[in-house]
Amino acid sequence: MGPVELLHMSVFSQSFSPCGRFLAAGNNYGEIALFSLSAALSPDATGLSQKPVLTFTAHEGPVFSLLSTDCHLLSAGNGEVSAWSWTELIKKNVKPLWTKRPNYKSSLEIPEINSMTINSRDNSLIVGGGDNNLHVLDLEHGVFKAVLQGHSDYVHCVTMREREAEILSGGEDGAVRMWDSRTAQSVHCIDVYKYESCARPQFGKWISCLTTDSDWMLCGGGPSLSLWHLRSLSPTSTFPLSGCQRQAAFYQDMILAVGEGPFVSHCLLGGDVKAQIPCSPQSLNTLQLNTNSTEHRVLTVGGSSAHIDVFTNLSYRAFSLSF
Amino acid sequence: AFSSDHWRRCLYVGGWSELFCPYCKISPQQGDAFFPLLNVFLFSRTHLQASARCALTTKTSKPLINAFNQIPGNETEKKSTLDQALRGVLGDQIIEQKASCDDYLSLIYLSISSVTEGICSATTPFLLLGDVLDCLPLDQCDKIFSFVEENVSTWKSNSFYTAGKNYLLRMCNDLLRRLSKSQNTVFCGRIQLFLARLFPLSEKSGLNLQSQFNLDNITVFNKNEQESTLGQKHTEEKEDGMEVEEGEMGEDDAPAPCSIPIDYNLYRKFWTLQDYFRNPVQCYDKFSWMTFLKFSDETLAVFKSYKLDDMQASKRKLEELRASGGEHVYFAKFLTSEKLMDLQLSDSNFRRHILLQYLILFQYLKGQVKFKSSSCVLNDDQTTWIEETTKLVYQLLREIPPDGDKFATMVEHILNTEENWNSWKNEGCPSFVKERTVDDKPKRPTRKRQAPEDFLGKGPDRKIFMGNDELTRLWNLNQDNMEACKSDSREFMPSLDEFFAEAIEQADPANMVEEEYKVVRNPNYGWRALRLLSRRSPHFFQPTNQKFKSLADYLDSMVSKLAKELPVRIFYFFNSSLLKTHNDKDIPSEEIKTGEEDDDDNGDNLLKDTKLGAQWKMLASHLEMKAAELREIETDSEDVDMQAKLLLVAWQDREGTQATVENLVTALNAAGFSQIADNLSEA
Repeated sequence: MGPVELLHMSVFSQSFSPCGRFLAAGNNYGEIALFSLSAALSPDATGLSQKPVLTFTAHEGPVFSLLSTDCHLLSAGNGEVSAWSWTELIKKNVKPLWTKRPNYKSSLEIPEINSMTINSRDNSLIVGGGDNNLHVLDLEHGVFKAVLQGHSDYVHCVTMREREAEILSGGEDGAVRMWDSRTAQSVHCIDVYKYESCARPQFGKWISCLTTDSDWMLCGGGPSLSLWHLRSLSPTSTFPLSGCQRQAAFYQDMILAVGEGPFVSHCLLGGDVKAQIPCSPQSLNTLQLNTNSTEHRVLTVGGSSAHIDVFTNLSYRAFSLSF
Repeated sequence: AFSSDHWRRCLYVGGWSELFCPYCKISPQQGDAFFPLLNVFLFSRTHLQASARCALTTKTSKPLINAFNQIPGNETEKKSTLDQALRGVLGDQIIEQKASCDDYLSLIYLSISSVTEGICSATTPFLLLGDVLDCLPLDQCDKIFSFVEENVSTWKSNSFYTAGKNYLLRMCNDLLRRLSKSQNTVFCGRIQLFLARLFPLSEKSGLNLQSQFNLDNITVFNKNEQESTLGQKHTEEKEDGMEVEEGEMGEDDAPAPCSIPIDYNLYRKFWTLQDYFRNPVQCYDKFSWMTFLKFSDETLAVFKSYKLDDMQASKRKLEELRASGGEHVYFAKFLTSEKLMDLQLSDSNFRRHILLQYLILFQYLKGQVKFKSSSCVLNDDQTTWIEETTKLVYQLLREIPPDGDKFATMVEHILNTEENWNSWKNEGCPSFVKERTVDDKPKRPTRKRQAPEDFLGKGPDRKIFMGNDELTRLWNLNQDNMEACKSDSREFMPSLDEFFAEAIEQADPANMVEEEYKVVRNPNYGWRALRLLSRRSPHFFQPTNQKFKSLADYLDSMVSKLAKELPVRIFYFFNSSLLKTHNDKDIPSEEIKTGEEDDDDNGDNLLKDTKLGAQWKMLASHLEMKAAELREIETDSEDVDMQAKLLLVAWQDREGTQATVENLVTALNAAGFSQIADNLSEA
């Protein structure tokens, strides 16, 4: 990887291994890099510990989405989903377990897959992408069993509402749709940009980030990041963050959000921005918290840079991993 | 004087065997001759010890003073004997181990009063204190030391200070050596405070004259994995060869896992900084400086990014702290475990400590200290970096809750006052006691021109010198223009009777003044009369229906009104009919011609009336004269006419301007002298 490529690299996705000791990151060149957190966090870490232990090309196009199950790493690339075994990857064996492609209506252009989520109830994978639909893949049998149609423009983000077994998807058309996983029907549709408190017409109506913890939902993008109460389907607070947020997460009694701007925003549920912690990439695409291991419980963010910032203490950047 | 038998008996009680020289084996009787001085000393000492014990039990120093006066020897010998005696008593008390702190203290009190009485040397109380503190455990030393603290004023008094200060210093230093700074912090503090109060500020033994650093204050932290406390338990157990219990350890060779991720990078850099604070001279070396710079920038960047919040959670904690009595935060050394790093970073007080360390360091590096070597100079880059970082540090200090701004201003103020102390040290710590100034030769008078206040009004009689005799004379007539204008001599307005006297006289038909010659016809006079009436007479303002054809007619009527009212002067009354009717004798001309302004009354004419003469007393009661005044008049003169005159004069004096004809007429009528009254009112 030459210096020019490094300069133009963007990290789009991250995922932690089930044991919590490794981080997988996907970039715009279709590569996945594996970093050893235990090495980087150890007392005698050197500059080398902050480099990947393994880098390989996974797909032809950018790796927009990475997801970990108990033993597999799922990656989405140019219209296809690949599965890798974590144990094999740790042993530096880069052969995928399988690669599948949803049934696209048109065969001329191959839509990208933007986001994936797992429905643990029936062990299925839901992918959303450029063909405006969500495809449900049964992991048990390996077939695509359903197509959720409803969005009028491509789907940016997908997430799962565990308790009610609902799928939430946000798209370029500005709609957040809620789907019942069993009937594969759209039960609700929220046009976020139509709500005055959230709407930011100067940025557009697209929804780029969506996350939920069953009762509450965070969504943002063109409209400002807002917290919604799902039962009543109404916004309770909006966060005055400049720029469009690309990923947000609930953490204890705070909300962490990343997007345009070289910082991680810490917000309170009431709508106040508590702090903005500076980081090295100029804008951020992905934010992940390692909940799989207590001694490697770090926050990592990546964006328009070859560096991934690691936070041991949420309030300051400790060091960076780099491709 | 006691007999030698007595002394011998005392000595026998004290222990003769101690005195017996083992080589000479001289008997007591013989001993008297050979060891006279020693005998005397020991006799005296025993006697004094016994008296001291007696004094302690009776709580008065009388027995001791008596004993002192009884023993032989000159003052110096006796004093040193008593010193020894007291030390002996203390020694016995300590050995017996039955005494309490109070007993020791009463002995020391006794020694102090002995010094005051002049029977003991001034160093003895200090020696006793030193002995006691050396022999007692620390908890009892605490009580003894409280006694020392309470009596600072005694130690500082003239009789004790010079003798005792070195002993006290040694005693305190010995105590400090015994105490642990972290275990007995309060006691150490008390000792230091006591020393600070005892000695003046410029006492050399308490000063760090060379501005040396405490190089022993090393901060220990885990520099590499081997030293990490995480691994210690593991290696110890391995050495013991014990079986590793199941589930106790993690993997075989890895150290015991800690529960949180640790940023070793920051940890190491952060604690390395403490070495620069310990020994600031390192900063002048180029390579050390580069390291310091790099590490500082990183640390301060973390402080900047990791802002402390004073939101609800910490507010609650603050209220708890305040409620608990405002506990003071203190620690002797930094705790440097890596697991504490996160907690320390989120603590306001910890941050304040570190930032303050930076400020103190910068002040030293920039400051003019006499004892710095000549190589300790900052170059321009360093100076610039220090200035920028100082600004950043102050900004960070202000952001730290609670009361960040107040803290930052306070710190700035304190560091500014430090400059004064620094220059004091550079001058060799001179004493703060002001010396009596020696009178120099008188100052040359300044050539400067004096301010007006300086020469005006300073001459004799408070005269103001204007620089010119004539001006001075004029100015000093009266300095204040307004006062001058108000003075009586400028009162140019005449009184009514003065002005109208002529007119009144002319109005008297008996004078037969022709109309055209009357002064009231003069328009000039008339105008002036009007002006005067408006200023002085109430008649001017009384409304009247009477119509006057001319000013002269108006003035005529006014004049007649006035004539009735005004106290009439003898000068003009001389011509009146009243006088003419009753006048036999001439009135002395001087009286007439004086024409005093304060009016005479017409007393003289009445005197000539023999009817009044003897009956003046009847008039007196109606004139409201007091009996005392009447008696006075009677004693003054025997002549009734004279008495009548005196009466009238007295009445006039009392009444002043109220001594008018009308009032006199009223009194005369009331007294029954209506004839005289009528005559008077006609005139």
